[in-house]
Amino acid sequence: MRRESEMGAKKKSVFSKLFEIRGMGSVLTAFAGLIVIYIVFGVINTKVFSSQNNLNLLRSMSKYLLIGIGQSFCMITGNIDLSIGSVVGMSAMISATLMSHGMNMYLAILITIICGLVIGVVNGFLVGKFKLPPFIATLGTMFVARGIGYIVNGNHNTDNVASGIGKKAGDAFQNFFYYGKTLGIFNTFWIALVIFIIFFFILSKTRTGRHIYAIGSNVDAARLSGVNVIQTTVKAYLVSAFCAIVVGLILSAQAGMGNMDAGNMYEMYGVAAGVIGGVSPLGGSGLLLGTFAGAGVWQVLENGLNMIGAQVGIQRIVIGVIVVLAVLMDVLLRNGTKVTKSDKK
Amino acid sequence: MSETIVSMEHISKTFPGVKALDDVKLELHAGEVMALLGENGAGKSTLMKILSGVYTRDSGSMKIFGKEYGDLTPTAAREAGVAIIHQELNMCRHLSVVENMFLGREIKGKVALDNGKMEAEANKYLKELGIQISPRQTVGDLPVSKQQMIEIAKALSVNAKILIMDEPTSALTSREITELFRIIRKLKEQGRGIIYISHRLEELPNIADKVTIMRDGKYITSGNFKDFSMDDIIANMVGREIKEKFPKVHCEVGEKVFEVKNLNAGKMVRNISFSLSRGEIVGFAGLMGAGRTETTRAIFGVDPKENGEIFLNGKKIKITCPLDAIKAGVVLAPEDRKKDGLCTKLSIRQNIALPNLDIICNKAGVINTKKEDAICAQAVNDLSIKTPTIAADVNTLSGGNQQKVVVGKWLVRNSKVVIFDEPTRGIDVGAKVEIYNLMNQLKQKGIAVMFVSSELPEILGIADRVIVMCDGRITGELNPKETTQNDIMKLATMFENKIDSKDQDNEEGK
Repeated sequence: MRRESEMGAKKKSVFSKLFEIRGMGSVLTAFAGLIVIYIVFGVINTKVFSSQNNLNLLRSMSKYLLIGIGQSFCMITGNIDLSIGSVVGMSAMISATLMSHGMNMYLAILITIICGLVIGVVNGFLVGKFKLPPFIATLGTMFVARGIGYIVNGNHNTDNVASGIGKKAGDAFQNFFYYGKTLGIFNTFWIALVIFIIFFFILSKTRTGRHIYAIGSNVDAARLSGVNVIQTTVKAYLVSAFCAIVVGLILSAQAGMGNMDAGNMYEMYGVAAGVIGGVSPLGGSGLLLGTFAGAGVWQVLENGLNMIGAQVGIQRIVIGVIVVLAVLMDVLLRNGTKVTKSDKK
Repeated sequence: MSETIVSMEHISKTFPGVKALDDVKLELHAGEVMALLGENGAGKSTLMKILSGVYTRDSGSMKIFGKEYGDLTPTAAREAGVAIIHQELNMCRHLSVVENMFLGREIKGKVALDNGKMEAEANKYLKELGIQISPRQTVGDLPVSKQQMIEIAKALSVNAKILIMDEPTSALTSREITELFRIIRKLKEQGRGIIYISHRLEELPNIADKVTIMRDGKYITSGNFKDFSMDDIIANMVGREIKEKFPKVHCEVGEKVFEVKNLNAGKMVRNISFSLSRGEIVGFAGLMGAGRTETTRAIFGVDPKENGEIFLNGKKIKITCPLDAIKAGVVLAPEDRKKDGLCTKLSIRQNIALPNLDIICNKAGVINTKKEDAICAQAVNDLSIKTPTIAADVNTLSGGNQQKVVVGKWLVRNSKVVIFDEPTRGIDVGAKVEIYNLMNQLKQKGIAVMFVSSELPEILGIADRVIVMCDGRITGELNPKETTQNDIMKLATMFENKIDSKDQDNEEGK
């Protein structure tokens, strides 16, 4: 058995060093899929290739990328964070409420971030310290965060932020997170990219990153190797909460106001982005680069289906099928023979 | 000669890139126990998977009860009478004994399941084996040994004539092994054939009639067990002669390095006091469930301690979590490598680096890749872990090499005390010797070694001092040079008298 894998590894090393990185295969597949989908839609409707559309693509993709980064961190620890969609909404509501009541923009953002991170800490402790099943723990905080989002402005969407902080500051806020461009590309993408690079580095090059993979692979072994499991779990949930907060700010900048239902279902978009890119929901494996590709696939699909005039229902179906296919392909490629064998039973 | 029930000839099987089996043969007769021996990776499991229909062979012929089978499927194999009792038991832990035994072939009444009939049937087979378990008990609540018996009962209930047992004794206590052997003998009398895979060669004389030895996917030899000496068997398995099964190195015993005083942690760790000195390996013997693993876990800070003191080089240290222990220089290579020892989805590099990230990372917690590679390469080299690259996943390694990774990740650090909990379980003879040599090297370096093992020969062969535990207490300390396995067993079965009875006094008294 061992020799078999040795041979496999030798074959791989001929390909290139890239393939030696665990999970790089699914990442490259996802990128290849991304390119194929993009070209197919572009051939059907050449407007897909237009620079205006490309800019829009990058901007809308950023939301999925950010939420995907957060969810990937949790999935790699072997957990899940169902609360992030609600944290998006809560952050949008808190920031917009404060600003529409005239609070300084920076202070409002700071308070929003703190409130969101509290949810992350609570998730982390419920799962890491009290060993609640992550599905249940974050289901609870999902409802709570959504409820807070409803309450902060008395069960109403907020007024325009400019009505509180003035047009100049309001424009500055909206431009910074959504409408403004730097070097010809929307700021939203730059924000997502910077956050992506930071977390990419943390996950692949730091001790915290290693601990995140370790507890996702085998939490007992990690603990016996001196990993602080509670701390690491809290960190992962802080990352997912932070990413959700940023998405919340982006949505509130986009609308110029707080919408109570902002970020609905985003936690699942995050799962989809990660899974398409090869992040295992069982923990221990996955690369953030895959999440990048996954978010791209997701957005190009949505955009392309829009451009060719497919109705929303069709869009949902296609996306659902793609998610399942991505994982199915992965499973089949990895142990194709085994699956067919046990099917025979 | 009794009826030939399995006859496999010229079996070959190639996996992409490797020839797993090359012209292998195997013959099993009714009413005999055939020991199938070989090192890890010799192809035993592949051969058994072909016999049970999980894999299909590339070439060769296979007859079961004289009938030639082409491509065997698991279902066809079951119908032909082949059953495997796996090393890692495949049971639904939350279901009852009956539910497990009849899983997938439940007996239906007119409307719902006929539980009464199934229970009666289950009882019949349990009774036949002389096992006292209620069929209604939840399987997860039973000890591993009983679960194994249920698997056997299940095999009987489908009328299996050929039982393959893969390392059946690896998780059993010696009393349970005796019980298992009794059942195996019974199965033999009923005319069933048993293929018995085990690394514990010392138990074979009690059970094996025939032996077939494999090495590197090839058939080496077979014959009556009586015609082989232990040394012959080992030589045939490893392809070279192992000069010393238990290499021993002598060192001056130095000052006390590590001391545990009055440690209490739950029911299984009661008032434990002992010390380890420079240049000695202290063996911890006892039956399974004697509290040795629990003691190591309490020391290492995995499980909470109730009270007790730990001293390192005369200084009192406080260990409340594994990190405290690691920082102080006390490390543990745990018993169950899949559960506690390794992150199996990760690479060798990541596994070895994991506890050493404090050394590998700079102050900001960023990994120094060069340093990491150097440390891992050295560990792989020092322990001669057989792998093409440190980027390989640990679960692609054989058991012995996996064990070396578990041990190797601790040797990178300057540890002062190394605790080994059953380091040689389930690994082959060659790898065992390598682990022994490693412990000897540590001893020579002046590191105190605590060596927990259930295999008495290796404890007597390797340890400089033997501490025996029973039921959560230390029941004695022996010098391996002046002691026998019987002495150890006496101490290991010195249960506290809970019922005042003269018989027990005589049997287990001091």
